[in-house]
Amino acid sequence: MKDPYDIIGVSHTASAAELQKAYRKLAKKLHPDLNPGNAEAEEKFKEIAGAYDLLGDAEKRKKFDSGEIDAAGAERPHHKYYRDYASAESASPYADNSSFAEFMESEGGFAELLRRGARAQTDRRGHDLEFRLPIEFVESIAGGSKRLTLPDGGTLDVTIPPGIAQGQVLRLRGKGAPGSGKGGFGDALIEVEIRPDRLLTRQGDDIHLEWPVTLAEAVLGARIRVPTSTGAVTMAVPKGSNTGTMLRLKGRGAPRPAGGHGDQFVKLRVMLPKEPNAELEAFVSGWESGKSYDPREEVAP
Amino acid sequence: MTLRNTLGKQEFLSLFDIGHDTLNAWIEEEWLIPSGTASELSFSDIDIARARLIRDLQVDFGVNDEGVGMILHLVDQIYGMRTTLIALRQAVQTTSG
Repeated sequence: MKDPYDIIGVSHTASAAELQKAYRKLAKKLHPDLNPGNAEAEEKFKEIAGAYDLLGDAEKRKKFDSGEIDAAGAERPHHKYYRDYASAESASPYADNSSFAEFMESEGGFAELLRRGARAQTDRRGHDLEFRLPIEFVESIAGGSKRLTLPDGGTLDVTIPPGIAQGQVLRLRGKGAPGSGKGGFGDALIEVEIRPDRLLTRQGDDIHLEWPVTLAEAVLGARIRVPTSTGAVTMAVPKGSNTGTMLRLKGRGAPRPAGGHGDQFVKLRVMLPKEPNAELEAFVSGWESGKSYDPREEVAP
Repeated sequence: MTLRNTLGKQEFLSLFDIGHDTLNAWIEEEWLIPSGTASELSFSDIDIARARLIRDLQVDFGVNDEGVGMILHLVDQIYGMRTTLIALRQAVQTTSG
């Protein structure tokens, strides 16, 4: 989570006045209603407004600084902005066309084009609407059903196919904007955004994991628990494994479009005990044959 | 497709935590144009969103009343222009496509 001080761009020691000044400078540039064509402005504005709601309130700021509360939930409650209505409703009582009336009146001007457009517009399919849907890594592998809340407060149930890839777009037919006449509805286009997992990463249909083992497990072999996208499984670590040893869990990867699954690859990392260990030191110093092996021979030119 | 919300005068006043005088001044200046009659005002979604903008300008940005009136006037022109541009784009698409 981002530090609210960083979001506003002031130091932790900034005075209330400095904070307000920095916030206003950002907010003026980013307020969605003052930036009607800028889709990014709304997200950024919500972030800085949330940060300011927290830090602009002396009481809350004190609690945040002392660690009593964190920045979670600091985002402003979602509500629709003026721009959401003002551009959409041509019958808005607030719309003011006076400053460009000259373009509308002249013969052959925009008014004529608009009239022709209105005549041709009787049967038009509705627009496609684009949405982003964030999902967890595990959901992207297993698939499932997600409910998307639309800007107008409605909801859309989206079925996520198992193994969906980052940036893939799902098309829901007829769930877009209404058309005119017999035009019918447009489609909803949903771009899936997969949140990275802390441990698992995906490469093609395979999943990769780096996993620590103890010296004893590596030298003697062991059966250890390993996380996968569908829960933990037991994996055999063969005797004599090493840092960098790659083990394969067959069929534990992402589902393939043509059927079957990719694999999960587990790269081992041998970890010595955290604390110095007298027994280990005594063994290694007396371990003559171990000293003749030079791993750098293989990498040195 | 969406359900339309409207608020009565009392609900509107308490939502924005303002008094009758303030609301009357806003309406007088045409910052807000609620529908209904003077005794039974009705505030639609667009009125509520616009009132939020007014509060943001005043409280968050520290704009004074003259400034708010000027900003709203310019904002109305921008949105009027956008609405026309959107209609124009549609007209161009349908007549050329």
